[in-house]
Amino acid sequence: MMNQLRLRERSWTLGITALFLILGIWRSQQLPHFGSYEIKTIILGAVPIALLAMGQSLIIIGGGINLAIGAEALLINCLTAKFMNHTSFVHSLLIGILGLACSVLVGAITGWVISISGIADIVVTLATSFVIVGLAMVIFPIPGGGANIHFAHLVTGGGKSFVFPLFAIMVPYLVIWVPLYRSRTGISIFAIGSNKDAAFLSGVDVTRTRIKLYAFGGLFAGLSGIALTCVTLSGSAIITIANAATLYSVAASVLGGIALAGGVGGLFGPILASFVIYFIPTIMLGYGIDPAYSQIIQGALTILVVLAGGWLRLRAKRSK
Amino acid sequence: MSHLRIEQLAKTYGPVSALRSANFEILPGEIHALLGANGAGKSTLVKILTGVTSKDSGTIALNGEPIHFTSPDEARKNGVAPVFQDPALIPDISLRRNLKLTSTDEKRFLSYLTNMEISVDVNTLVGLIELPILRMIDLARALSHDPEILILDEITAALPIDMADKVIKIMKEHKESGKSVIFISHRLAEIEHICDRATVLRDGIDVDTFPTGEGSEERIVTSMLGTQSRPAPVSKKAKSAEAEEIFLSVEELRRGTSLQGITFTVKKGEVLGVAALEGQGQDLLFEILAGEVKPDSGTLKVSGEAIKFSHPMDAISHGIAYVPGDRKTALLPQRSIHENLAATTFKGIRNWGRINRTSESLKVANAISNLQIDTRAASQVKQLSGGNQQKVTIGRWVTTGFDLLLCFDPTRGIDVGTKAQIYSLLRTFADEGHSVLLFTSELREIQLACDRAIIIYEGKVHAELPIEKCDESSLLSAVHGIVIA
Repeated sequence: MMNQLRLRERSWTLGITALFLILGIWRSQQLPHFGSYEIKTIILGAVPIALLAMGQSLIIIGGGINLAIGAEALLINCLTAKFMNHTSFVHSLLIGILGLACSVLVGAITGWVISISGIADIVVTLATSFVIVGLAMVIFPIPGGGANIHFAHLVTGGGKSFVFPLFAIMVPYLVIWVPLYRSRTGISIFAIGSNKDAAFLSGVDVTRTRIKLYAFGGLFAGLSGIALTCVTLSGSAIITIANAATLYSVAASVLGGIALAGGVGGLFGPILASFVIYFIPTIMLGYGIDPAYSQIIQGALTILVVLAGGWLRLRAKRSK
Repeated sequence: MSHLRIEQLAKTYGPVSALRSANFEILPGEIHALLGANGAGKSTLVKILTGVTSKDSGTIALNGEPIHFTSPDEARKNGVAPVFQDPALIPDISLRRNLKLTSTDEKRFLSYLTNMEISVDVNTLVGLIELPILRMIDLARALSHDPEILILDEITAALPIDMADKVIKIMKEHKESGKSVIFISHRLAEIEHICDRATVLRDGIDVDTFPTGEGSEERIVTSMLGTQSRPAPVSKKAKSAEAEEIFLSVEELRRGTSLQGITFTVKKGEVLGVAALEGQGQDLLFEILAGEVKPDSGTLKVSGEAIKFSHPMDAISHGIAYVPGDRKTALLPQRSIHENLAATTFKGIRNWGRINRTSESLKVANAISNLQIDTRAASQVKQLSGGNQQKVTIGRWVTTGFDLLLCFDPTRGIDVGTKAQIYSLLRTFADEGHSVLLFTSELREIQLACDRAIIIYEGKVHAELPIEKCDESSLLSAVHGIVIA
């Protein structure tokens, strides 16, 4: 018996890779000059959303969804932009680590509240999103701030090379996701997303796993917030930014092959999907088309891709 | 050595006491049957024993040491490993990752699997493995933890006979190594051959414990039912001439490799039995008749008129109602008994008016009393026992009305008392002039409930037997493809 679901996952990854390449080449044709610097610009544009999408995807795999993930990133963006401004490299680095710890904590608390209250993830995280954005506004009422420029270069790189921005995506992928996927915690995350009862009977501590799940989601959100600080060298506590980021993270997860029902997918697809989401409005702008249209196209594309995925699944089921 | 002693175990769920005071002792090296009607407290006892749920009071001691497991993991590590009817494996991840989740040694696991003559690629996604194989996998996984007490909950239900035999062999080996097995089954015939002793629970209390042997079945049934009598074959009305009228005829039905030209007829006012081993195409046949799946070729005729179903609604509108084998797919688990019974009575969305509550309530109340549904947990069907859930799935067609009822293994995992109720219900339908097509995995039930039986083997009707010839041994040879003279 052929592994139909594997096949489906593989064809999905293939599809999103193709889409990524087509749009990438399209974009490169638009630019008068296409080199390392242009690649760097593209990656930098996608870094914050890619990191956020990784966090959201992980949570969806674990059977949850976090509507506050954009708010978490925004909070860390504001915190780091406020406290990294006019500091030394080491000081900024420490603030960065503190920021990550903070977002992990926020995530863990979210997971804990969902577990003990028994209230649906979507409700709890919708509520926490307001709380967190409010907190960011209190901490950092006026947009601004900055960071040590050498610290920022960790993400942006100093010169024209695209290596550092690429690292900003790939290092978290390789250092967090790959080992996590192989670990017992990783399997437990897939298990609670796939079938909570069977997971419990297999000896998974569902509550603890969910707390870890949201903590890891928080970690990616924190990284996304720091990346945003490094790219923009500022922070701004604006609720629409947080909400848009959350919705993009969900879109990237779905486009990237994560089943909303949980238990299925990996984080590579969502990374590519984040680029797709970045490319669409950029290419439209390149043609001088109203950005409003790009929203329409982006939405239509998401539906198309999800339909294609559903069709693939149906076909796999039929041929079984 | 493994010696388990349970004393005065009690557990209540809200107003319902699942266990009142259960005593239960497992000696080293024995296979002990745990029996009881649905709702007698078997599952609760097993859940407490395996750390799935906590007890209210009472003691459990393993080899003299009091134990109290707070999670299935802890139970497994301390030598108590269960295998449930629904395997506790995660569908969306590979078998290898499932094994890793329970810290199961892969080599040991594979050696047990080889022992069962099953070969599975450990990289396969669990969701793609067939249920019978999955149960064997779950069993092999439990065995590789070398449990002192192995708990098998309805593992042989709907298991192909060759696999059931393997399970029995494994249980005996386990017992010979000085360890014990708790065996839960509704197939009473198995008990006297497999088990050494049996404990019967009724209403959360152990009512009888005795060594099993020839003729234990009678004693088991008596203590399970208490004052109720054991099920007798349902009495059949003498057939009049009009009963020979054909309601459904199936001609040369084919689909894929599973169905290779099935032909048979269902008469009005009869219960037609279908006997088959697992995987002979019977499930697909029922799905086609219910309009869920389209056949590749062949004809269906309802009352002589050729028809094609493109949706279950088409089948329903032709009077064909389907009670699937998996109760979960038929019920709305979070909704009330009332809504579940009434779910199919809205005859189509074009009826814009409001639902007539009075007539609906009347129909529902009728069905509840006809089917003797226990309504203590009326607000959510998922809280009902398996037997009562099954009655609800049948009951909704009583409220809706039908000409032909397709019942796929309706008594799987249901106690003797409820089984008898379901069969007498099917008989009532037939007596009223409706037809019933009944597949059951328990061959002895064919003779109890049917007027006639067809045997499906390798996707074809292999034989048709009059009811007098439907004794268990003839059916058994027939389902194995042995030609009957």
